[in-house]
Amino acid sequence: MNQPERERFFVSPFFVFFTIHCAQVGIGVLSFQRQLNEKVGHDGWMSVIVAGVASHLLIWMIYKIFHLSGNSEDVIQLNVQYFGKWIGNVFNIGLVIYFFLLALIVLRLYIEVIQVWMFPLMGTWQFSLILLLLTYYTVSGGFRTVVGLCLWGVVIPLLTIFPMLFFPLEYAHYRNFLPIFDHSAIDILKGAKEITVEYLGFEMLFMYYSFIKNGQQSQKWAQWANGFTMFIYLVVIFISTVFYNEEQVKHIIWPTLTLGKIPEIPFIERMEYIIISIYVLVVFPIICLAVWSVTRGLKRIISLQQRLSLPFVLITIFVASLLFNTREEIDKLGKIVSMIGFYLVVGYIPAFYVYASFMKRFKWKASMK
Amino acid sequence: MKRLLYLMFIWTFLLAGCKSSRIVDQVQIIHAMGYDWRNGMYTGTAIYPTFKQGPMTKPDVLTTESSTTYDLIPRLSSKSALPIEEGKMRLVLFGKSFAKKGISEIVHSLARNNKVGSHLQLAVAKGDAEELLRITAKMTLSDMLYLSNLVEQNIREMNLPNTNLHIFLYNYFGKGRDPFLPYFEKKGNFVKLEGLALFKDDHYVGRIDLRQSFLVKMLLDETKNGVYQMPIAKQKQKGRVLLENLYATSKYSLKKGKEPVVDIRIHIRAVIRDYPIWLDLPNQQAFALVRKQMEKHLKKDISSLLLYFQKKEIDPLGIGDFVRSHTRHWNEKVFYEQYRQLTIRPHVKIDIVQTGIGE
Repeated sequence: MNQPERERFFVSPFFVFFTIHCAQVGIGVLSFQRQLNEKVGHDGWMSVIVAGVASHLLIWMIYKIFHLSGNSEDVIQLNVQYFGKWIGNVFNIGLVIYFFLLALIVLRLYIEVIQVWMFPLMGTWQFSLILLLLTYYTVSGGFRTVVGLCLWGVVIPLLTIFPMLFFPLEYAHYRNFLPIFDHSAIDILKGAKEITVEYLGFEMLFMYYSFIKNGQQSQKWAQWANGFTMFIYLVVIFISTVFYNEEQVKHIIWPTLTLGKIPEIPFIERMEYIIISIYVLVVFPIICLAVWSVTRGLKRIISLQQRLSLPFVLITIFVASLLFNTREEIDKLGKIVSMIGFYLVVGYIPAFYVYASFMKRFKWKASMK
Repeated sequence: MKRLLYLMFIWTFLLAGCKSSRIVDQVQIIHAMGYDWRNGMYTGTAIYPTFKQGPMTKPDVLTTESSTTYDLIPRLSSKSALPIEEGKMRLVLFGKSFAKKGISEIVHSLARNNKVGSHLQLAVAKGDAEELLRITAKMTLSDMLYLSNLVEQNIREMNLPNTNLHIFLYNYFGKGRDPFLPYFEKKGNFVKLEGLALFKDDHYVGRIDLRQSFLVKMLLDETKNGVYQMPIAKQKQKGRVLLENLYATSKYSLKKGKEPVVDIRIHIRAVIRDYPIWLDLPNQQAFALVRKQMEKHLKKDISSLLLYFQKKEIDPLGIGDFVRSHTRHWNEKVFYEQYRQLTIRPHVKIDIVQTGIGE
């Protein structure tokens, strides 16, 4: 396709703020206090900052990789360009599988929340089917539709769920933060490792980079998005630390949702049900973005049209979502996906960056001779 | 494409029928639940409204017995024509003998139960919970939530420290603190709030009266209400003053060392509501006298309350938690081995803001 014709598929750099922020804040926010509490107790907020700063750095690396490579469109082309056709495509297939698993686990975890809190008798397939039909509708609208969804997936929860988090401050015990640094630096880094998965989502930038008008200029917005994610996580961890004590968090599966039990208004006694319902807007754009990335990846690797691969991908996700039924199975899948994601961002991205800058210098030196 | 959209539309509506619904007049909404331990059996009592026409609606009582606490609600179901719904439960009352045995089973089950709200009140009854609940069941519908409203009113306006399920769980699970609950007694045909029931881990170990629960309220947090009566003497005249708290704060500080000392500085801004006629209050000298006597008296009362807690080895004030926040790598076990010997010094400062509109 020539350049002007493609222009109408582009989004302006500003929207990167929404795609990145939306993809980062997902189902994990409902429960990340637990893992953090296990590793660092009440010093968890430091781990949040450490992981946030690391993600800033990783986003910078992604932009740098694109900059160094010259005119590569996305990670599919980058892999082939740097690692050759065979190894490159192995990486590419790995990435596509990862995005597939990401969509699957987000969908399944959200359905689990609904099943536990709202409709214990509801089967997985009912909700899965509705959500995946909607995903089909959105993703077949193209990348711009997905981005539009991301916009609302950020704005609406921010206006509705976010203010509700502040009600529990009525029961705040600010003493819970003391003593600061009760845990060693190693503990804090361990906590940061746990929390890094909550920052995941920005790696999909690899896939949609070519859809951003003036790609390099969007870095500013990507960094802002990550900063905003860090802010939200800090607020959540701050409120949970003063509201619960360390022992109590161990007994709660979704501490953030339990925070929602506190606000009370005359006609709705239990706010957490409202939060869960609105949360579909947090979860749904992530699924769409991930599914879009899978189909885009398939198109770039094996030139399969997105219109053809989309139903196939969705049916696979639907069938796969039915295979995970118990808490342990879902938990295990979640652990696997977050482990892959973790090594993807802290292993693959920096290694790629070092390799790319090395190649650049090498070529530059070679051309000097 | 269009056909597909129609299909999706139809699907969405078809699937909406798959959800489970609970219609409000086809369930038995429990308002209060009581637990007792009698003759080796557990008794569960539930109060629920039966809606008839007009203001005649009266609450009904269901009770059942079982050898475990877990199947009390299922057993209640077997006596009820409609399915039992616990989502609107406002109060869980424990009989004293049940509380002495330990309430952890119920508490863990409440903590796990997503249907129950965090604002649920827990309380302990002297004697049987069933007896107290039967008294409340004699009231009409407008007084249905009698006990839970009573607790909430006393938290808002009077001497009772803030309690609900969340606060109980916070104290119960938390290291360095012990839970407490409101304590009820049957007085004739009424139920009366009689102070606080104190717990060690999950079992009842003692109680304090409403006067002392004001001290607990003040020591726990800053508070804007509560009344406290104290004796006062001037030369040979003796009498009592009633102090109404406007705003009280307490500050804890820790002196570390071989024998750590906890200092509690309490500052009360108060109104003197009632005082003997011979006391000429707007007079500066009388003011100073009253203030000094009250400070001394309050200090003595707080000290004896703290001693009582130390003797019982319970920590409803969360002093252990406070020490934890000032100690690196605090150890709960080591702290409570020395808890009895810990020196806790209260310091009281009272500011009398006003004495009412008459002299």
